[in-house]
Amino acid sequence: MVRGALWKKTIRDMKQSKSQFVSILIMATLAVSIVTGLDSIWFTIQNHADAMYRSTSLSDLWVTVANPSEQQLWGIKQIDGVTRVEQRYCADADTDLPGNPTLRVYALDDRSTLDQPDVQEGSFEKYGGGAVLDENFAESNGLKIGDVVSIKLNGAWVRVPITGLGLSSEQIFAVKNSASLMPDSKSFGFLVVHAGTLESVYGRKVYNQISVRLASGTDVPQVERQADAVIGKELIGIVSQKDSGSVNSVDSRIQQFRTLGIVFPLLFFIVTALITQSTMVRLVENQRSQIGILKALGYSRRSILWHYTSYGVVIGLCGSLLGLAMGPNVFGRILVPRVKLTFSDYRISVNFLHFFLAMALILICTGGVSFYACRKLQGDTPAVLLRDRPPKKGNHIFLESLPSLWRKLKFSSKLIARNTMKNKGRLMMSTVGVMGCTGAILAALTIRSMISGITVQMYGTTFNYDQKILVDQTKTDTRYLANQELNGIVQQTEESNLELICPNGRRKMEPLTITSKNSPLIHLQDVSGNPVSIPENGIAVSRKLTETLGVKPGDSIQIKRTDQKYVTVPVTQVFYLASGQGIFMSDAYWKSLGETFKPTALLVKWNGVPNEKFLSSDAVEESVTRESQRSGLSGSTQVVNIAVAMMIVMGAALAFVVLYNTSILNFTERIRDLATLRVLGFYHGEIRNLVLIENYFSVFPGMIFGIPVGRSISWIVAKNLDSRLDLFGTITPQNVLIAGILTLFFAWIINRAVAKKMKNLDILSALKSVE
Amino acid sequence: MDFITLEDVEREYRVGDNIIKAVDGVSFALAQGTFNVILGQSGAGKTTILNLLGGMDSPTSGTISVGGEEVSGMEERELTNYRRTKIGFVFQFYNLVPNLTALENVQLAEEVCRDPLDAQEMLDRVGLSKRMDNFPSQMSGGEQQRVSIARALAKNPQIVLCDEPTGALDSVTGRKVLKLIRDVAIDLGKTVVIVTHNAPIAEMAQTVIHMRDGKIAETETHEHPKDVEEIVW
Repeated sequence: MVRGALWKKTIRDMKQSKSQFVSILIMATLAVSIVTGLDSIWFTIQNHADAMYRSTSLSDLWVTVANPSEQQLWGIKQIDGVTRVEQRYCADADTDLPGNPTLRVYALDDRSTLDQPDVQEGSFEKYGGGAVLDENFAESNGLKIGDVVSIKLNGAWVRVPITGLGLSSEQIFAVKNSASLMPDSKSFGFLVVHAGTLESVYGRKVYNQISVRLASGTDVPQVERQADAVIGKELIGIVSQKDSGSVNSVDSRIQQFRTLGIVFPLLFFIVTALITQSTMVRLVENQRSQIGILKALGYSRRSILWHYTSYGVVIGLCGSLLGLAMGPNVFGRILVPRVKLTFSDYRISVNFLHFFLAMALILICTGGVSFYACRKLQGDTPAVLLRDRPPKKGNHIFLESLPSLWRKLKFSSKLIARNTMKNKGRLMMSTVGVMGCTGAILAALTIRSMISGITVQMYGTTFNYDQKILVDQTKTDTRYLANQELNGIVQQTEESNLELICPNGRRKMEPLTITSKNSPLIHLQDVSGNPVSIPENGIAVSRKLTETLGVKPGDSIQIKRTDQKYVTVPVTQVFYLASGQGIFMSDAYWKSLGETFKPTALLVKWNGVPNEKFLSSDAVEESVTRESQRSGLSGSTQVVNIAVAMMIVMGAALAFVVLYNTSILNFTERIRDLATLRVLGFYHGEIRNLVLIENYFSVFPGMIFGIPVGRSISWIVAKNLDSRLDLFGTITPQNVLIAGILTLFFAWIINRAVAKKMKNLDILSALKSVE
Repeated sequence: MDFITLEDVEREYRVGDNIIKAVDGVSFALAQGTFNVILGQSGAGKTTILNLLGGMDSPTSGTISVGGEEVSGMEERELTNYRRTKIGFVFQFYNLVPNLTALENVQLAEEVCRDPLDAQEMLDRVGLSKRMDNFPSQMSGGEQQRVSIARALAKNPQIVLCDEPTGALDSVTGRKVLKLIRDVAIDLGKTVVIVTHNAPIAEMAQTVIHMRDGKIAETETHEHPKDVEEIVW
């Protein structure tokens, strides 16, 4: 065990090599804090979401069917694995609030126990005609308990008194449809009412969804198939918990941080190990004779080994604890509230299992490496150790085998070349550090361009309208719309959710857009930017959706017509859409399937001023400008900017610690040589270059290796960001250039700092200190 | 004709609250092309004098001039330039750059000064023409010191300053090194100043300055200095 005196020696040794040990500590802290930080994010999300799913009894399956009959309910109840069946009503309703926000209304039955609101304030007061309003929606729209909100359902207005504010498991990630990328509580929220409240609208209690609770371990697709058989023709759709919008988004966020939490910290662990290695090798070399003395005094081999190993262990433990304190508090606290998930509180949970794994790993990187570094001196006898250290060797390097080149080099270049080659471990350490720096910056920049590229791809290239006008399908038809005097280019579209069966038999609900073949305002493209036409005898599927559905051009899928019969249609085109995946089809083809084309939206590019008369007419439900869609999309990516800033800071930290450490080691190790050169009459600048130019031997290769690292990180992030996004994380020359310049800039700052330290080189004392 | 003159030179060091006078009012003059020794026990201030002469340190007061140029008032950059062109240093522990071969260590000198002497020829003169491509770690102490002498001379300096050049060597090797310094340096017309605590060496010098407690105790001049072989130590 460590004895008192040796323990004091440890502390003092560390003080002497402060900058190295602080570097190790910083790296170890960062490594552990990134693991615990990123872990705390997904772990917190998972814990909060799971707790909420449990406390609100979230259903496992929703079967949408207009007015389910007693027989249908009973039939579903009989399916193997089904433990509870309830019915409810779910629909989107307009409100009379400024800006016409939409509320998703859930009307619950008397005896309902599934899909309950998570009431935060006030109460539901089910039987008193009360309602629970989305807490965030209430806040954004200035509503409070006691206020009355008017909603429009089935063309009639209902006034609902708000008796409670709360959250919903189905709206943790609250977006209206797949076109919105990020929640906006000002324009969308939910409202839970009692089924009786809607009697004034429909004249009776209405239901359109069967909520199903399954025993754990039930085969969900199997139940889906059986439910389909039970309901038959009247089935509108089946969605499992996993596939439902909010749950799916929450899962994809968990997955995203899980992946990052594994990939990103790796670099920091490697660098920690490399810094420890270079520091401990040097420390043990310098203490050669001290080891001899300790041995001569009778310290056992084991206690000396443990003494040196303890340096790493102490730093590793401190780093782990600091990382544990820092990670969840910094990463968790900053990022969790910004992933836009609505929970009742943001208490951060820590994944202790992963923390202990990270701690074990960091102890290997510090303690293990220290042990390994001092092991090789242990074999020598005290007498050998006490004798003078064999002089440092100069060695010929491979460059010298090219005499023509070698002879042309200035001596200072030779000196730099030899010294670099002599310290290969250090070279590797700084190369890895710089690689991580460039990689992190490049990934950060790529992610940022990728996200801003979504807006460009969506509202720059693909959609070219000025305004999208949602029209009331019941009051309009194609002829009516064609007769409106809209001065400009007009494109009629019908948007709906299409139920389909994939080649593998799985059922899906996907957004369908039907429009004219010439499509003047929607320009679909493939991945490489070639135009894709809207097919006349088949469907066009977005690229990411082809992966989800497991189809390729030429394959066929079954789609459900409005008469509930399935027809087989060929996939003829694949197009690329960065956000909001879906299916496109021409109106002609839709008609050829025996359907009628009933536009739900008009896309308009105005010739001059918009036709306000039409916009304010009864036929128009809502209109949005492309400009507002575009700014809504770019405004919703705040979390990305924060993550990007964090990645750049982390990258810079890597470069700073590693390069500063190498330079200082390089400088202190050669202080006598440098002092000699100073005496010989070398100027400060020349000496500085001798030490600092060496850094560029690691900076340049590090930058080159950083490019694939950055590429991989961006690629992983792109794939895991969101299931509705189709991104590639392609690196651009521009971003590579910026990442390179930033890396060089960091290297330059570090060199300035070291140069400042070197300027204080006292040649007299450096030359005096002979061992 | 005095080449090096020191007038009332003082050098104080502050150690904590105490001020230590390492050199306390020293004045002397040395002629060009002579072989001189500053003799004294450790702590007598002899190395400080050498450092001041070599432009590695500046006096607290007093003037030092070399070849008519005042060294004592020089700025850092001027001092570097002075070391670069006028001074050759030989150290007790050689201070060769371990990553450079013998030849390259001497070429270091070529790198910095205006009219260097040929590095190979210098190594030849110190008798190391066969070991030019060896690294310092592959050479003995005496050989390393000879490289160091070659390096000092290759700069073609006006003054060669030696700090205990034989301190780390055995007597036989030490003698050879001293002989080399004297023969080669004087042959090339350099002024040599050797600092040592080893009294017999003084017998080789034309001027011997005895130092004690930062002051000059005695200055003696030898019309006919002894040859290295005649010295016993």
